[in-house]
Amino acid sequence: MRVTLFAWRNLWRRKRRTLITGFSIGFGIMLAVTFTGTGDYGYTNMINAGANMGFGHVTIERQGYNLSPGLDKPVENSEQVRDIVLKIEGVNNAYVRIMGQAMFASANKTVGGMFLAVHPKEESAEHNLFIRSMVSGEMLSSSDNRDVVIGTHLAKKLNLRLGKKLIYTTTDANGEIVSAISRVTGIFETGVKEIDGGLVMLPINTVRNQIGYKNDEATLVAALVNDQRYTQAVRDRVARRLNAKNVEILTWKQTQGDMAGIVAMDRGSNYISQILIGLLIAAGIFNTLLMSVLERRREFGIMMAVGMTPATLFKLIMTESLWLAAVGIIFGVIITTPWYWYLYNIGIDFTGAIGDDYSAGGVLVDPVMKIRLFKESIISILSGVFLLTLASGLYPAWKAGHIPPVQSLMQR
Amino acid sequence: MTGAIVTMENVTKLYEQGKIEVRAVDNLTLTIQKGDFAALCGPSGSGKTTVLNLMGGLDLPTEGTIHIEQQNLSELSRSQISNMRRDRIGFVFQSYNLIPVMTAYENAEFVLKLQGVPEKQCHERVMNILAEVGLQGLEHRRPDELSGGQQQRVAIARAIVTRPAIVLADEPTANVDSVTADALLDLMQELNRVERTTFLFSTHDQRVMDRARRLIRLRDGRLEQDEVRA
Repeated sequence: MRVTLFAWRNLWRRKRRTLITGFSIGFGIMLAVTFTGTGDYGYTNMINAGANMGFGHVTIERQGYNLSPGLDKPVENSEQVRDIVLKIEGVNNAYVRIMGQAMFASANKTVGGMFLAVHPKEESAEHNLFIRSMVSGEMLSSSDNRDVVIGTHLAKKLNLRLGKKLIYTTTDANGEIVSAISRVTGIFETGVKEIDGGLVMLPINTVRNQIGYKNDEATLVAALVNDQRYTQAVRDRVARRLNAKNVEILTWKQTQGDMAGIVAMDRGSNYISQILIGLLIAAGIFNTLLMSVLERRREFGIMMAVGMTPATLFKLIMTESLWLAAVGIIFGVIITTPWYWYLYNIGIDFTGAIGDDYSAGGVLVDPVMKIRLFKESIISILSGVFLLTLASGLYPAWKAGHIPPVQSLMQR
Repeated sequence: MTGAIVTMENVTKLYEQGKIEVRAVDNLTLTIQKGDFAALCGPSGSGKTTVLNLMGGLDLPTEGTIHIEQQNLSELSRSQISNMRRDRIGFVFQSYNLIPVMTAYENAEFVLKLQGVPEKQCHERVMNILAEVGLQGLEHRRPDELSGGQQQRVAIARAIVTRPAIVLADEPTANVDSVTADALLDLMQELNRVERTTFLFSTHDQRVMDRARRLIRLRDGRLEQDEVRA
């Protein structure tokens, strides 16, 4: 009889025990899928939302701008840089933008905040959170006019409505104070109070004129990648392609440090939870295999008496572990599929608990917990379970081959 | 040592039971010749099973040497001893000790598979041996579907299917009724006569002792009597 068939039959000698262990492995898979899937979905959403707020996944900016932002550090030939970046593999789109601090004033009040100057015609709703979040009025229509789009909270603070005037004051490229008047054409609401209360969108050429930038200067070129997991690879490609001395190419982890910290911490605690669950399940598998070895000591003695080598016995127990892993994975697929389907399509709504404006690291977090697994995550969960089960079988398999046959035969 | 299958020279085996040292075999010198149909007898605790275990390489002596077909057991690795058992020694145990998840056929086939005998040859030999021990038609039954006597026949089939140099049988008739015991002994005697298979039994059973052509009597781990009968 082949070892594989023998091991398979051995596995079903204690049906209930095998089923319970298989189920616990399956349950472990379900937990791992839930933890990893919510992470894959949640982090991707957060990172993409963060990227869509201005800096992109990869940011090309003047050397030193990230540490000490200021309008005195423009990227030269920014339009040309954008054209180059657009041709790089993995880049979905790229945008030339000017970001800076300003004071915003209406007839009643003055508030400090940020401005984001864009080419309205080139911006897409897919990569610009503010366009997607428009609640009234219209998006900027041209790069050269005096339109402005503001957040709901800012509108409330300054008592502004559509068509009303907004004065913004900033320092130009030379450090001189400059002011301009704009007219509110649109209002957005992202849900993040800090953003809605302190950010305005302006036409880029108007701002360039205002702050003394040349026609092709900007503070950054924001590149949006096809898949956020490969941001670093895209960043490296951009760096190789541009090979410019006075610019630096940063990923979202550097431009949005707060969010990167939150994602890293959450991911770390997620991994720790998964490791603890894995260890608990491994202890169950280990117990099953060890018990099945210890209760068959006499049988192993017989097998060794008739000529089975310790190595073959080791192989037998490891094959049993392998089968157990396979059974567990089948259980896992059976119990996880409907759960995954539900979380993928419907999700669990936590609006009641956290509200619909919960933000982390300056990024709005979706209150509906959904799930999405990357192919790599599926492979790593399944191979992790497989390896864990095999590792749990190592000691019992070694033990089986190392009990002297004469002692095993004495076992009743 | 021409014709010697197993030779034990000045073999001593000590066991520790708590703080007490037990001398299970005491300076025993014994040779089992090819074609022997021998019975090891003696009271409980005389060392019969220990001698069988030592001869089969299941245990190693504290002192002395054991040769199986002129190979010194203490010079072999664990794997080499396993291979030696697989190829040259057959074991029959008191409580059959069949593998419960395997059928009669698979139990008998087990050692041949360990030897790597090709499938076709394996099948032929297993079917022949099962027929020889009177189990034709019961090949696909698992141990729990066989009577005690039938299980012991499967155990004998497993022990002799590889045509070993020696079969070591530990109380083979202890758990079967007298009719079955006689039938099993007939079978083993026949194998000994026709195939020249060497048998060494440890036994308390008078029927086995009556049929044995050589009677080796132990007491307190020492050889008390070694009688060859006509």
